[in-house]
Amino acid sequence: MRLWRVILLVNLALGVGLLFGYLAWGREAVRLGQELEQARRQQVVAGSQRTWHSRGVVRAVLPELNVVVLTHEDLAGYMGSMTMGFRVHDPKLYEGLDIGDTVRFTLTGAPPNVEITAIAKDAP
Amino acid sequence: MTAFGVAVRWVHLACGLGLVGLVTALLLAGRSDRPTALGWEARMLRWARGLVGLLLASGIAALAYQAAVVTGRAGAALDPVAWMALLGRSQFGTVWLVRHGLLLLLAALLLLREREQSAADRLAFRGQAWLLTALGAGAMAWAGHAAAVEPRGLAAALLDALHLVAAGAWFGALLPLAALARVASTEAGADARPYAVLAVRGFSRLALALMLLVIVTGSANAWFQVGSVPALAGTLYGWLLLLKIALLVPILLLARLNRGRLLPHLAGDGATVGRPAMARLGRFVAWEAALALLILLLTATLSLSPPAVHDSIRWPFAVRWSWEVAAQVPGGPPRVLIGTQVAFVGMLAMIVGLLVRSWRVVLVGAGGAALAVGLWVALPPLSVDAYPTTYRRPSVPYHAVSVASGAALYHAHCATCHGPMGRGDGAGGAGLLRPPADLTAPHTAEHTAGDMFWWLTHGIPAGGMPPFGGALGEEERWDLINFIRTLSAGERARQMTPLVQPNRPWLVAPDFTIAVGPAPPRNLKELRERFMVHLVFFTLPESRPRLVQLALAYNTLQATGAEVIAVPRGDGEHIIRRLGARPPVLFPVITDGAAEIVTSYALLSRALGPRELSARPGPPPHVEFLLDRQGYARARWLPGAPGRGWDDLQLLVDQILALEKETPSGPAPDEHVH
Repeated sequence: MRLWRVILLVNLALGVGLLFGYLAWGREAVRLGQELEQARRQQVVAGSQRTWHSRGVVRAVLPELNVVVLTHEDLAGYMGSMTMGFRVHDPKLYEGLDIGDTVRFTLTGAPPNVEITAIAKDAP
Repeated sequence: MTAFGVAVRWVHLACGLGLVGLVTALLLAGRSDRPTALGWEARMLRWARGLVGLLLASGIAALAYQAAVVTGRAGAALDPVAWMALLGRSQFGTVWLVRHGLLLLLAALLLLREREQSAADRLAFRGQAWLLTALGAGAMAWAGHAAAVEPRGLAAALLDALHLVAAGAWFGALLPLAALARVASTEAGADARPYAVLAVRGFSRLALALMLLVIVTGSANAWFQVGSVPALAGTLYGWLLLLKIALLVPILLLARLNRGRLLPHLAGDGATVGRPAMARLGRFVAWEAALALLILLLTATLSLSPPAVHDSIRWPFAVRWSWEVAAQVPGGPPRVLIGTQVAFVGMLAMIVGLLVRSWRVVLVGAGGAALAVGLWVALPPLSVDAYPTTYRRPSVPYHAVSVASGAALYHAHCATCHGPMGRGDGAGGAGLLRPPADLTAPHTAEHTAGDMFWWLTHGIPAGGMPPFGGALGEEERWDLINFIRTLSAGERARQMTPLVQPNRPWLVAPDFTIAVGPAPPRNLKELRERFMVHLVFFTLPESRPRLVQLALAYNTLQATGAEVIAVPRGDGEHIIRRLGARPPVLFPVITDGAAEIVTSYALLSRALGPRELSARPGPPPHVEFLLDRQGYARARWLPGAPGRGWDDLQLLVDQILALEKETPSGPAPDEHVH
């Protein structure tokens, strides 16, 4: 066979190989990556009941709304550190809490329906 | 170890680029059935096989070296686990795999040993070999400094790839052509002389274009990796680059000699003109190739040196030139403009004189004189004293903690002479040869932060300032410079009003740490581009009515794009509790590190009143700043100052909305003093 034909055929084979490789695995890899990302997001948004243990500082207690506002640490997989109001499971929980107290608290629920199930002053 | 790394890279680079040129030479040479020409082609194929072998071997050595460098232990050079980790998880590894895959294909192609039976065969074989060598050489760009350029990494890598391929096609073809010229200059090889003449002429035409391409892409690469004249003159990388350019000059001169003198004689009478010219050409071209190998050695060294943009600059001259300085000298700008124009015309005349034959002496002489006169006129107003550290970048960021620590150092070491407020009026400075500098004066254009670093370290013997290099550590000296920057900015900030001056940001807000209770601390800088910041320094109980007003308006302020951050002055203990429960204060209130922030911003809080000469006024109990999204303080409210204030919330919201409407004009402030 002529040399130029050999070279052309080898290049063609390489090109076709790369194309099929991409079609078979490249696209699959992209799809799997997207699925993984989606699964992660769903786990956070509509996942089953979860519990977070965190610390924060009390910024406001609003008994009329049954809400305590905390500047809290990161809640892994749910939200970063911020100032945020949380519903409290039982109004008795925030009895004795003062503005500026550093607290340890437990947050339970399936986002966005979460509530504080335990809260206590942190040892100074 | 580094010498081994440089040697490996040198061999790898030389073989990779040499292959590109060798195949280019094979493509350029026409077809011939003369035995000498066929012999040369066969020899070149043997060279190519040898080069591919060396390239693969040096590639494996480079991988071993990189594994040792990345893991930090010499034993990893032969550790297969380290190799696999490097290949699988780094950009270097990906590029290495792709390149060596291409090289294996090239090796297979070169080992085919099929005969070229037609022009199509020839083109397919050599074209394919060229494509593989060029891709292999160009891909090196993605494993070097170019790929790390931010933000235009792709453009930098593409330019570098083009540089590598063009340089390879030029330099790499030199030795094959020298070999051809050598055989064709002998009596036995006379049959290949027409073939050699055609090949050399073809290369000569191509080389001109390649040379231009190499220079243009090389300059672009240098811009990405060096970025400034001081970095070129004051770093190892810059010096190596200058040496590389200097080595290019003799190559260009040899090339010009070959093109101008030898090329026209190649086709002359064989025994008397053609063959001697061919032999000389072979020798000169071999010299060019030897110089090119030295250039590649420098390139290999450069690839293992930190790029100048990231390196610490050591300015080698006692003077520097700056337009900002000339602009401040009376009569400076016109003098500089006239001088540079005269110098430019002189240079133009010299170039024209070198290009034309008639009037050469007159043009070059007059041009040289004009150049000298022009520089003599233009340079003095541009010149300013410089020191080795003039362009040194501060190693400590412009942060409140640094400014506060600088303030303490200032009062311990400097205030005696420079005065408590930095005005140069301290008691200790009275008897000095030269009065101590007024540190509050705006002299940013004349002095860089690096100049101040030099004076602090080595003192100013002529003025009686002692050196502090021994007493203060490097970080402490930068802290002092950060403090002096704030002090000087504070002098200008005395004129600041509650009204935003549109599109005129100038006061960089010192960065600080926002720490609220146990929440992880963030830096002010992290809010840039996301929020404007309304920064409130308060004292309880005086500020309580204002904080209530802000707490109630917090939603409105947030809706307009501003985050409120409150910093307590004085005793900050249990500050959130002391703010009270009603109304709830929900904006961040600093609970840790407030003292440093207060100290820094107190320097920016002085009012435009009678010039307090020596007394240190206490900072006002309440002051508010408005920071734009880029991190500049744009307006300030001191309660009690005449005119409308931000207690009228409508005025505050108007300022926030005015900032919101602005399009950012300049870059975000650098985190370091300049």
